[in-house]
Amino acid sequence: MVNNILLLVYRNLVAAIDKSFLIWMVAFPVVYIFIVGYAYSTLIGNREISIGSVSVTYTSFLTSGVIGFNAMNGSSAVAGGIVWNDKRNGMLQQLLVMRFSKVQYIIGNLITIILIGLVSAALIMIIGLPTMYKNANITLWSVPYIIYALASGSVFFGSFTIILSTKIKSSEAHNVISNGLFLFFTFVSSAFYPAQGLPSPLTIAFYLNPLTYIVDISRAGIFSQISAFTNIQVLILGALAATVFVIAIRSMISMKV
Amino acid sequence: MCKIQKSEYCISVSNLRKRYGKANTYAINDITFDVKYGSVFGFLGPNGAGKTTTVKILTTLLRATSGSIYIFGRQLLKNQSEIKKRVGVVSQNPSFETNLTVERALDLYGILWGLNDKQLRKEKINKILNTFDLESIKSIKNDELSIGQRRRVQVAREFIHEMDLLFLDEPTVGLDPSARRLLLDYIKSQVKSGLTVFFTTHIMEEAEYLCDQIAIMDKGKIIAFDTPSGLKQKYGKGTKTIELTFNDIPNKLLIDHLKNIVNKRQSRKDPNSTNSFIGSNGVHTITITADNVEEIISEVLQLIYKDGLQLENISIIPPSLEEVFLSVVDKNGYSNGREVGVNSS
Repeated sequence: MVNNILLLVYRNLVAAIDKSFLIWMVAFPVVYIFIVGYAYSTLIGNREISIGSVSVTYTSFLTSGVIGFNAMNGSSAVAGGIVWNDKRNGMLQQLLVMRFSKVQYIIGNLITIILIGLVSAALIMIIGLPTMYKNANITLWSVPYIIYALASGSVFFGSFTIILSTKIKSSEAHNVISNGLFLFFTFVSSAFYPAQGLPSPLTIAFYLNPLTYIVDISRAGIFSQISAFTNIQVLILGALAATVFVIAIRSMISMKV
Repeated sequence: MCKIQKSEYCISVSNLRKRYGKANTYAINDITFDVKYGSVFGFLGPNGAGKTTTVKILTTLLRATSGSIYIFGRQLLKNQSEIKKRVGVVSQNPSFETNLTVERALDLYGILWGLNDKQLRKEKINKILNTFDLESIKSIKNDELSIGQRRRVQVAREFIHEMDLLFLDEPTVGLDPSARRLLLDYIKSQVKSGLTVFFTTHIMEEAEYLCDQIAIMDKGKIIAFDTPSGLKQKYGKGTKTIELTFNDIPNKLLIDHLKNIVNKRQSRKDPNSTNSFIGSNGVHTITITADNVEEIISEVLQLIYKDGLQLENISIIPPSLEEVFLSVVDKNGYSNGREVGVNSS
């Protein structure tokens, strides 16, 4: 069972990750951190942004947000790609007539999603370190929060894309719907700007978006600003990720082969 | 089919039924058959007959509504993980890893089948590339291959692992004639080495070339089952064709007389029993199809002799499997507006 799941994870990684995916996964957030970050900093000036009791530069704020954003990006791209391709190109059926079961396929996908989410985030954390090393204050206590936020976020967005991939029939509709939704997820969140001080409808919209929770929790971990509100966000994110994952499992089980 | 001890057969299916959801009819309706070890079992039938549903049940993709399935003498559902390790499947639908080259995809497939020795895997891949003439496309991504090339890769990759039973669900669809022949010959050689093959096809020539036993399925039931020659004997009803070739052009009167002879001796009148045409080699040919050619042949020859025509050649051709198939399926009421799924290419 374990061996089969590991084989499926390996297969997912080999089948889904190619050079263009890696370049896109690194280049896209790097543009945000170094180009958008520094360009906006000239507009913002020296004004710092409050996170709990500390104030950080905009580039530090942005980098810590892009870490969560990249976990979303990586996990959703991989999960959607795997399930979409396996469904369209007959590999799901082929795997199931081999020694693999549907349960193993689902667990294999889950592990792949989390793995890719965490690696994507770690990659940005390493690349963006120069922009936030002055403000970052990662402690043993805050590390689990960061990992939890990124892993749960990966599960949420990976599962969300799996649901889209299993339910939507045409690739055109799939592209339009997922691009539209991810535009909302990306920009109606606290990844690029703080949620505080916004008009209330926008604040509500921010907090309807799981990316806000992922970014807020991981940011609280990176700058050691864990509060009671962070813990509430942890619970909400966990519940959301679990719910969406259960729906994703159901849609994968009902996939026709 | 007789019920003999299960372990004597590679596949043993009894009273298998499959109903989709709340449908009133069964897609598979009480079928029973046994497949011998080291043989090719052909599963023929028109579109929608239930062939692929049967394959899906036998490969555990679908659950049967009722009935029993034994593979290698073991109950399929209870021992599926063990059984599946010794079974290969080439599905009707294409399956491929989009982003990988042919060689990399073969390598990954080998890993998934548990071939952990890199050197052994490489040797097997090289053998497959060579056997199936895939060398020239080994560095091309699956996504960029033609449908036929992809199909070739899909069939070829199944031979990367050791197996005792291979399900081939219309494996030659999309293959050119030389690739098709190459595959069929390779399967034959593997069967000689002990492989058992469960083969579904629409192409009668393939079935005739490859299969030791054939089951013809229609509307979810097996309506005929025998060896190819047994089927011809049973369902060809003795119908044979006399093919006469001449150097001269036969006149229309002779053809009318021949038709009269055939119709006089036949219980069932067939206006197309006698045909005249000029073959691609320019030879004038008359074909006479009848149930009792042995009885009418002397009369036919006398008539030709009287007419003064010089006969170049005469041959008696047994019914083809395609004719048997059409006769069996038509008798089963297939012609009622449904598509005939016979491809004689």
